[in-house]
Amino acid sequence: MADPNKLLIIDDDAHLRESLAEVLELEGFECHQAGTAQSGIDAAIKLGPDAVIMDIQLPDSSGFQICSTLRKRSKTTILIMMTGRFLSSEEKKQGFELGADEYITKPFDLTELTARLRQLLSRPRGGA
Amino acid sequence: MASPKRRGRLSLRLLLWFLTLSLLPLGSVAWFLIGIAHESLSNEILSTQQALAAGFADTVGKYVATFKNVLIETAGIEEFAGMNSVKQQQFLNRIMQVHLAFIELSVISPAGVELMQTGRFLKANPEMRHFEGEDFFNTALKRGLYMGRLERFQGLYPTMTIAVPITDPKAAQPVGVLMGKVSLNGLTQMLGMEFPSSGRSSASVIAGDGFLIAHSNPKEAFKPEARMSEELVKIITTQNEEKGGGPLLLVDGSRLFGAFAFVPNKMLDWAVFVQQPMDYAERTSAAMLKRTASIVLVVAICVIPLAWLVAGNITQPIRDLRDAADRIAKGQFDEARELLPLDVSNEVGQLAERFDAMREALKEKTDELVGAKEKLEEFTHFLERRVEARTRELKAAQEQLVQKERLAAMGAMANVVGHEIRNPLAVIQNSTYFIKTKLGAAADPKIAKHLKIIESEIRQASDIINEILDFSRTRDLQPTKMPINIFVEELLSVYPFPAHINLVQRLDPANPDISIDITEMRQAVRNVIGNSIEVMPTSGSLGVRTYTQGEWAVIEVADSGPGIPPDVLDKIFVAFYTTKARGTGLGLAVVKKVLDRHKGDVKVESALGKGTVFRLLLPIQVEPKPGASRPPTPGAPTGQRPV
Repeated sequence: MADPNKLLIIDDDAHLRESLAEVLELEGFECHQAGTAQSGIDAAIKLGPDAVIMDIQLPDSSGFQICSTLRKRSKTTILIMMTGRFLSSEEKKQGFELGADEYITKPFDLTELTARLRQLLSRPRGGA
Repeated sequence: MASPKRRGRLSLRLLLWFLTLSLLPLGSVAWFLIGIAHESLSNEILSTQQALAAGFADTVGKYVATFKNVLIETAGIEEFAGMNSVKQQQFLNRIMQVHLAFIELSVISPAGVELMQTGRFLKANPEMRHFEGEDFFNTALKRGLYMGRLERFQGLYPTMTIAVPITDPKAAQPVGVLMGKVSLNGLTQMLGMEFPSSGRSSASVIAGDGFLIAHSNPKEAFKPEARMSEELVKIITTQNEEKGGGPLLLVDGSRLFGAFAFVPNKMLDWAVFVQQPMDYAERTSAAMLKRTASIVLVVAICVIPLAWLVAGNITQPIRDLRDAADRIAKGQFDEARELLPLDVSNEVGQLAERFDAMREALKEKTDELVGAKEKLEEFTHFLERRVEARTRELKAAQEQLVQKERLAAMGAMANVVGHEIRNPLAVIQNSTYFIKTKLGAAADPKIAKHLKIIESEIRQASDIINEILDFSRTRDLQPTKMPINIFVEELLSVYPFPAHINLVQRLDPANPDISIDITEMRQAVRNVIGNSIEVMPTSGSLGVRTYTQGEWAVIEVADSGPGIPPDVLDKIFVAFYTTKARGTGLGLAVVKKVLDRHKGDVKVESALGKGTVFRLLLPIQVEPKPGASRPPTPGAPTGQRPV
């Protein structure tokens, strides 16, 4: 079996971050966590995760900012935006343009999320 | 003939002018003629009187002269002086017989002693008188003639005395005086014949001292102390002329024409006076005046109706003008024209012509004004309607704005709240999932059941948040134009109706186009249908129909549920109002919001125990190409299908 996929979870809510990480670890992913945008970007640069799940609303910056930064560095990393509020289609469109791959709205169905993650990660991606 | 009031003052004035012009010259000419007639009549009367007076004075002079001559001849004859007394007596008697006027004749000696006396009323052997010193005796003796000494015989009848000297050719001196007393009654008789008492004139002969010698009326002449009035005597005796006359105004007020003529005898100061009261001339004048007046009256009577007619005729066009002006004042322009005296040959007709032009212009202007007024009223109504409509729109817009603001505020809040609740929900979800995965199939079935409950509640909470956020968010409408029936049919075909609901569907054959945001409108109709289904948990009938009502396309959803109490009915569209155990109370509020956003309306009607009818009103979209109506959807008019 190949190395487990590396996931980076960025959210300022420690409970959410931890619970999500633990659930996904149960599902066989290797999870890393960051509480701020900056630390998230740093971690991503350092770890080179296969997928990043990030909250849009962060204390120091927005998830879109992280998305934009990370997409510029890597074309292959799966970027999943997490939101607790309503997003207009305009906002969604903006996110996709910046490189986001998926949106999930809290609270999310973990079965669905796991399946989606696997599906996205299993896609052939140009050299990471 | 028209009444004076209708004719007006102008007619009266003209009438007065006509009367004045016709009667004034007539009157003044008549007046002058009367004056001339009066004067010439007076002159005629006066000259006649003067002629009569002069003639009579002459007659009187001759009358007296006759007796004088008789005496002179008698005394002058040669034999008389030489006659003896008997012969003289006989001679004198003869004279008396011939000349009846002699009353007595006497022969007087130069010494003044009466020698012989004859008389008509003498007694036998009368006593001889002595006349020496008497005026008549001395005058006759010295100057040869005496006439005068007026007396009244028997106190009544006027007499005069004539005395002449008796001469003897042989003697140088007169030998005596022949004296005769002459009765003057003859003069009165003559005057009486010339001026009968039935006539207008009377005449008298007077002496210078006022002694009335004769009068045309014997009663005046033959009375004791008969005298002419002092006033007249004075007037006559102070005249310088031999004869004359004129009008007299006496102190007693009587007016008369008087003419006098002195008797042509140097020894007598007698005058004949003819008089006539002036009233004859005055009466004549008065008669003429009366006649003239009657002529004037007749003329006036003839002139008045004539002038009235003429004045009426002249003023008729003016009255017509006045009536026409009255009509115009009442706005009866065409009737006014019929009244106009449009005869341009005279000034009034020309005036009427100008008046008609003015009437025409006035009519035109009035019509314009009326038209303008109508337009103005129309415009005012239009404006009022516009203002009302705008006011309604503004009010609606304001309400909408308020609503929008409220919703925006609510949306902002809901967003925050939603976010803050979603996070913990997500954590709970994660944790539950973790526990569930950890426990796996070994888990106690009860724990598994509770984990499922937790998951279900999380989902429900999430749904509620979504619903609230949905309601509060404001997104732009994305309108699509489509036939109402297509929209309804599509919606019904996918709606998950429960089996116990009997759907009765009836679609509008007119099938008008509506412009809707399909997502939102679908949500609204779904909410209504969902609501209706909820009130019929075991069985019921749901009628869905479309129809046209004025400018509205209506979607009607009718249930056979228990109905809504009136106090609840008012509030069902209020957000967060609910009677259900669970529910946000936003279902119908969303319906209201969606219809408002579509410039439509939602109405509800409910009868307890019978059911509730919701009507969603949407503005019909008018086809750009008129007449190009869409054929109704096949099977649409009455469709009934069990679900």
